[in-house]
Amino acid sequence: MTDGNTKASVKFDAVQKSFGSVKVLEEFNLEVDPGEFLVLLGASGSGKTTALRILSGLETPSAGRVHIGERDVTEVLPKYRDISMVFQSYALYPHKTVAENIGFPLKVKKLPKAEMDAAILDAAKQVQLEALLDRYPRELSGGQRQRVALARAIIRRPSVFLMDEPLSNLDAKLRGHMRAELKHMQGTLGITTIYVTHDQIEAMTLAHRVAVLEKGVLQQLASPSEIYNNPANLFVAQFIGSPAMNVIHGSLEGASFQTNGAKVKTRVKGQIAKAVAGVRPEDCSVTDPKKGTISGQIYTTELIGDHTLVTVNWGNDQIVVKAHKDFDGKQGDAVGVVLPPENLYIFDETSGERIR
Amino acid sequence: MSGAHTKFDLQNRGLLEKMFEPPAVGKMAPVAKIVVYSFLAIWSLFVLFPIYWVIITSFKDAAAVNQGPSYFPFVDFQPTLDAWRINFTADPYCDMAAIARQLYLLAHNSVAFVLSPVVTIPPMEPQICKIYLAFTNSVVISIISTIFCVAVGSMAAYALARIQYRPKFGNIMIFVLLIVGVILATTYAGVPWWMSSAVALALFFFLARALGRHFKMSLGNGDILFWMISQRILPPIVVVVPLYVMFQAVRLLDTHLALILLYAVANLPIVVWLMHDFFANLPIELEESAQLDGATRFGIFWEIVMPLTRPGLAATTLLILVLNWNEYLFAVFLSTVKVQTMPIMVAAKNTGEKGVLWWEMCAVTVVMIIPVIIMAVLLTRFISKGVLLGAVKG
Amino acid sequence: MSYQTNTSQPGASPAGLSSSDRWREWVDRHAGTFFIAPAVSLILIFAIFPTIYSMVFALSRVRFTGDGLKFRYVGLRNFEKQFFGSSEVHFLGRTEPFSIFGMLVFAVIVVAVLWWLYRSWKTATWVRMLGRSISAAMAIFLGYILCASLLSGNAIGTLYTTLFYVLVGCFVQFVIGTGLAFLCSQPIRGRNFFRVLFFIPLMVTPLGVGFAMRMIADVTKGPFEPILGVLGLQDWVWSASPWSARFVMMICDSWQWIPFIFICMLAALENVPRDHVEAAQVDGASSFHIFREVTWPQVVPVAVTVLLIRAIEAFKIMDLPNIMTGGGPGSSTESMTLHSVYVWRANDMGSSAAIAYLLLILTVVVCASFFNYVVLGQIRKTRA
Repeated sequence: MTDGNTKASVKFDAVQKSFGSVKVLEEFNLEVDPGEFLVLLGASGSGKTTALRILSGLETPSAGRVHIGERDVTEVLPKYRDISMVFQSYALYPHKTVAENIGFPLKVKKLPKAEMDAAILDAAKQVQLEALLDRYPRELSGGQRQRVALARAIIRRPSVFLMDEPLSNLDAKLRGHMRAELKHMQGTLGITTIYVTHDQIEAMTLAHRVAVLEKGVLQQLASPSEIYNNPANLFVAQFIGSPAMNVIHGSLEGASFQTNGAKVKTRVKGQIAKAVAGVRPEDCSVTDPKKGTISGQIYTTELIGDHTLVTVNWGNDQIVVKAHKDFDGKQGDAVGVVLPPENLYIFDETSGERIR
Repeated sequence: MSGAHTKFDLQNRGLLEKMFEPPAVGKMAPVAKIVVYSFLAIWSLFVLFPIYWVIITSFKDAAAVNQGPSYFPFVDFQPTLDAWRINFTADPYCDMAAIARQLYLLAHNSVAFVLSPVVTIPPMEPQICKIYLAFTNSVVISIISTIFCVAVGSMAAYALARIQYRPKFGNIMIFVLLIVGVILATTYAGVPWWMSSAVALALFFFLARALGRHFKMSLGNGDILFWMISQRILPPIVVVVPLYVMFQAVRLLDTHLALILLYAVANLPIVVWLMHDFFANLPIELEESAQLDGATRFGIFWEIVMPLTRPGLAATTLLILVLNWNEYLFAVFLSTVKVQTMPIMVAAKNTGEKGVLWWEMCAVTVVMIIPVIIMAVLLTRFISKGVLLGAVKG
Repeated sequence: MSYQTNTSQPGASPAGLSSSDRWREWVDRHAGTFFIAPAVSLILIFAIFPTIYSMVFALSRVRFTGDGLKFRYVGLRNFEKQFFGSSEVHFLGRTEPFSIFGMLVFAVIVVAVLWWLYRSWKTATWVRMLGRSISAAMAIFLGYILCASLLSGNAIGTLYTTLFYVLVGCFVQFVIGTGLAFLCSQPIRGRNFFRVLFFIPLMVTPLGVGFAMRMIADVTKGPFEPILGVLGLQDWVWSASPWSARFVMMICDSWQWIPFIFICMLAALENVPRDHVEAAQVDGASSFHIFREVTWPQVVPVAVTVLLIRAIEAFKIMDLPNIMTGGGPGSSTESMTLHSVYVWRANDMGSSAAIAYLLLILTVVVCASFFNYVVLGQIRKTRA
């Protein structure tokens, strides 16, 4: 067992993957720094799992090279890549105890029993499973099984961790708890981690950097705050943020966005016949019908607890606004919405690119 | 050992590694490829050779067979259509319309049989072309028996999957004792079978009503299922002789009905076993929602459940069809002239005086094998979709 | 999974329904009975009833007379004939002289079985003890016959010929079938082609297989004749010596039944979750290691079930020995079914039924034991 931190960098160099005639991954370029927590974020079919599997060696790319550290591992079998992987289904061997599951990678390497037992105990302690070492996977809860999978991954101290949607099979409350655990563990161990998910909250909370993928193409690679505040295109803007960014269709003429018979002042200038304006619910506010940038009718209000979400009908569009928790408007009331120009994102509708 | 992978040098993979290690996940190492494909090839030869031998023998004549082995047509021996001619055209009534005539004959005699208590229709005398008769019999009996078996078995399997049964153990014991009584009365005391059966049935209903409430122990669905499936353990030899006597007593010997019923019973356990698994795995919400809408049990079964199990149903039907097509023991015991099936024709080529007429037998065997191969192709397509696996696991 | 069969419509009073609706409702309420009645009746009439009837045959001397069959109750005489009487050698084989080696092995078997019984005494209910006692009694009896006949250098009878076909045959078929399934589960091209091809022997009528194999195994006219000549075996007739005949029979039976094991095991191997195999690959295990540690343990429950099903069918073997050797030489390839048929042809219907019943008892005890101790054990392991 290698001790210490042999964290390695990861590089995808023009990687492409097609299954038959279907192109799943296009010209994928990505460099991950040693010790970084990188999240591959995207919907299903976006190619994120394929990229992970190519990195693990379970798939071979149709074109391009993959590097771990300084080695070109494109044609190397998984077992020689010094990686660990946590599967979405955990892939725990049902006929082995927890201890045997965790110790399997070491058993494969034919470590002497004493060393193996010590390592198993150490890994189990890190995920708080030392009391369950003699149980079988079918006797454990979802969260416990997930921790067994984690322990099995960390026991070898590999240079890269790969995780394929490890939290998606857990219920919401447990997911939040495990997110914190994962982040803490990665911070402690410092191993380079590539994490695949479709949940943008996981991406925002866990990542050092996020790579957003859609239909096999990398949309944006940046830190979570950058992705949130400075989305590169419409897809990223709508994918990140909960509730999602409001999207209004219209046209950009000079410094104003025109739609629904209204003109909204914008910060960027341009001349685009088909444009999309985006504003996040927390960046706009409700006010008197005459005092707002635009005015519309309340479609519905939802009290979340610490705030109220107000959905406003404006022409053919709907805008969701985060309002004060004591907002007392009712369905059908007229209401005004303030759209500050500095929080308005303008996108070209055809290309999706952000206009800066 | 643990540090080996960091020292792993890709450029200089040794020859041994290149030969024994797979080049990538999802592919085989070169050595492994050679080994695997050669074993598969050897086994393929082993499988195909007897079939090949049967096919070419059907094209040989007596001399070619008896003089020692010949392997290749046109090289070792001259292929002839003798065997085919003798089998299929030699008898005077064997012509293209023979099968149509047999079917009509069958229909005519079945109707006559059904209506016999009411009106007497003289049965049509068969103009027998033995081989076409056997072929028609095989086809008709197999198909009808399969449909009947799958229908009855599916219904029972569905009921066992959805409805709770609680037969009282005491009632079952009474029933068994009554059966024993009927048999003893009929064999040792000479009571006519219909009289003792009627008395036994009446006694059963009366006793079950009267004593039923006192019995506490009852069996459940699992037991009934086990009982039905375990019927397969029964060696047919145990029942053929009594069945012969029984059928003779009701004058159903050498009839299609007898064989259809018997084939159905013989394969019922398989149908129940396979279909029960399919039904149990269907989500119950579909049926519950139909119930709320007021559908009858049979309506749910026919409209909702059966269509959902189509692949499993098809696979089961094909399997039973093949088993019925190949069935020999019951046929040979219970048929004499009219209901002979193809396997009996094959066996008949083993004549006493002339020895085995191999070439003719092979021709008949080939005709038996071809539909079966087609069904095998269809069946494996279903199995490869994992359709039948669930049942085996259970 | 069940729900009430009572589906009377709420809100509609019975008096308000028309008579056909009421009749339909009555049918639906009793749907449970109607669904299961055909199957139960068929089994009762054509399986249970004849089986019990057959017992009467076995307990009687049956003769054909002018107006049918005449039964005369003779108790267990037909059964005695198989074990102690004129049929003993035919059925059980020669059991004397009892060699030292045989006695030693028998002693070992008895001790092992009794110890197993003793160990279960503490943990089992009386019903289970009864079952185990039956299994134990059968085991000791079979062990006795084995040691007295085969291991003492004597000839075996139809009982052990049948067991040979079942035990040795199933074992060989299982090993080869699973091996083929393993080969086919590798990433090869044409897996479906092989699947179809290997499935075909199972679908040919056993009768046809019997005759085909007889043709092929013929030493003068069959295809192996020149090969035998080359090997210097041209005077060898496999059907002349008991054991070579039995082995040839087993090989031909395997030709037909290996596909069954192959298909089931291949499906089982394909159903091992891909994730588990990939996880083991990432963790560095070799293919052999993966098979032993990950794949095989998940396949074992299916394997023992398949073995049980095959064994149940194997006890019934009849066509192959009948056609290929007529049970010969002597009666050394006769299975018990065949034995029963030949005895029936000799007009001794009582003995024929007795032998059939002995086969039934043998099959039920062996298969039930295997099911209870092995199959259920495996299933319990994976479902607990």
